[in-house]
Amino acid sequence: MASQDIIRRSGTSEMTPAAKGRNSSEKVAKLFDATKCNGCKACQVSCSEWNDLREEVGSFQGSYQNPMSLSGQCWTLMEFHEVMESNKLRWQFTHSACMHCADPACLTACSTSGAIIQHANGVVDFDSDKCIGCGYCASACPFDVPKIDPKDNKAYKCTMCSDRLAVGLEPACVKSCTTGALRYGTREDMLFYSQKRVEELQQKGFPNAGLYNPEGVGGTGMMMILHDINQPESYNMPDNPQIPLSLTLWQDWVKPLGTMGILATAAVACLHKITVGRNIVEEDQPGYQPPAEEAKQEEEDDK
Amino acid sequence: MSKHDKQEMIVRHKLFDRICHWFIVAAGLVTFLTGFSFFYPSFQWMGAIAGTPQLAQFVHPVAGLMMCLPLMLMLVRYYKHNKWEKHDLAWMLAIKDVMFENEDKIPPIGHYNPGQKVLFRAFVLTSITLTVTGLIMWQPYFAPYFSATVVGWAIVLHAISALIMLIFVMVHFWMATWVEGSVTGMLYGKVSKAWCRKHHPVMLDEHSDVEKH
Repeated sequence: MASQDIIRRSGTSEMTPAAKGRNSSEKVAKLFDATKCNGCKACQVSCSEWNDLREEVGSFQGSYQNPMSLSGQCWTLMEFHEVMESNKLRWQFTHSACMHCADPACLTACSTSGAIIQHANGVVDFDSDKCIGCGYCASACPFDVPKIDPKDNKAYKCTMCSDRLAVGLEPACVKSCTTGALRYGTREDMLFYSQKRVEELQQKGFPNAGLYNPEGVGGTGMMMILHDINQPESYNMPDNPQIPLSLTLWQDWVKPLGTMGILATAAVACLHKITVGRNIVEEDQPGYQPPAEEAKQEEEDDK
Repeated sequence: MSKHDKQEMIVRHKLFDRICHWFIVAAGLVTFLTGFSFFYPSFQWMGAIAGTPQLAQFVHPVAGLMMCLPLMLMLVRYYKHNKWEKHDLAWMLAIKDVMFENEDKIPPIGHYNPGQKVLFRAFVLTSITLTVTGLIMWQPYFAPYFSATVVGWAIVLHAISALIMLIFVMVHFWMATWVEGSVTGMLYGKVSKAWCRKHHPVMLDEHSDVEKH
């Protein structure tokens, strides 16, 4: 069965786009409201349950956060950020997982046809069967999300439970959220809801409350409501995530210029060989006779 | 000088260097085909020389090292022939006559002509950058020790260096097949004295007391 809902496929020429006949589905989004999260880790547990992930038990690192970072066996992580403000300590929780960028750098960087795909609903998904483990996605992601699993040398990350979405269910993390901090729906609905929620927060004494939906990556399929949108770093989120300059240079400049260089060299070489002809040492040709005068001269030299 | 020396041969490449050269060609072929499969994903079939795309990812850096390390060794051994000399500039300025075979207008040069010396420098530069950036981006062994930004820039530099090297390899192949007798020289080590007189006249003086045969 052809995957009719794929709108973008890594390593594929724009001249041969993926099948677009049936992609009328609406863009979806997951919304994480950091102001409602209490760090219960239900999202992290349900993610590993649904996706059959079992990260090895690590050792205590001075934080409730465990493991300390995303990995091939941990696609959703509850991050515990300790923030000191006016001599008061508080936690800020980040539901850390793939942001599902509208313009995904990982997909642009991928070295393999169709190993990274974007579905019509906006979800960015990895096809692990095709992945070759080059790690280009991991170096390109502005959120440091994709991780290579040492067990099989393949890249993994949150799929937004694309298998659940395909049959009309919500992502496992959203299903299990105990406080309603995680929501899932059409992107339009999530934007509408977050606007109301941000206004509410601003009235309740958080004037800088706002929606984290960075434009540098075309907006994200996971958006975050933060109590202070001017300090996303306090949630360990980049202030202004961008598609890396190195990636743009590589894909948009080095590739076409390099291709032109290769073809031009080949063309000049062929033209040169055809027009100038063979460059042979006449003396070495079978049956070569030195010109008469030269031969005479040589005979004289010999004498 | 008489016609007796018509096919008199002279050693241009020693056995060790010839083995090195053709080993580099073999390893380089695998490296470039697998590298192409990552650079042009639509042409992933080029990496099929390694078996599967996953094997191509594994084989590429190994074959790359097998290409670059002997290449560096060979470059060190050939350094003495590739020092830039005063009269090289005149040859460079007469490049048009070289390409169109206006032989009487080509200034005489030695073991290597300035074009080959440029190629030498390009290989020195690219073999070093390819090895260094290749190590930085090598998954899963070394890349995890570097930040994503460093790996990202290593990938671009690796691609640029590989393209430069490939273009120089193409020129190298073009010139070697154009100047007949060169490929035999690299295969069996010897070139005729007539070939030297035509293409590298000063080399005859350089070799007059050693390696003469």
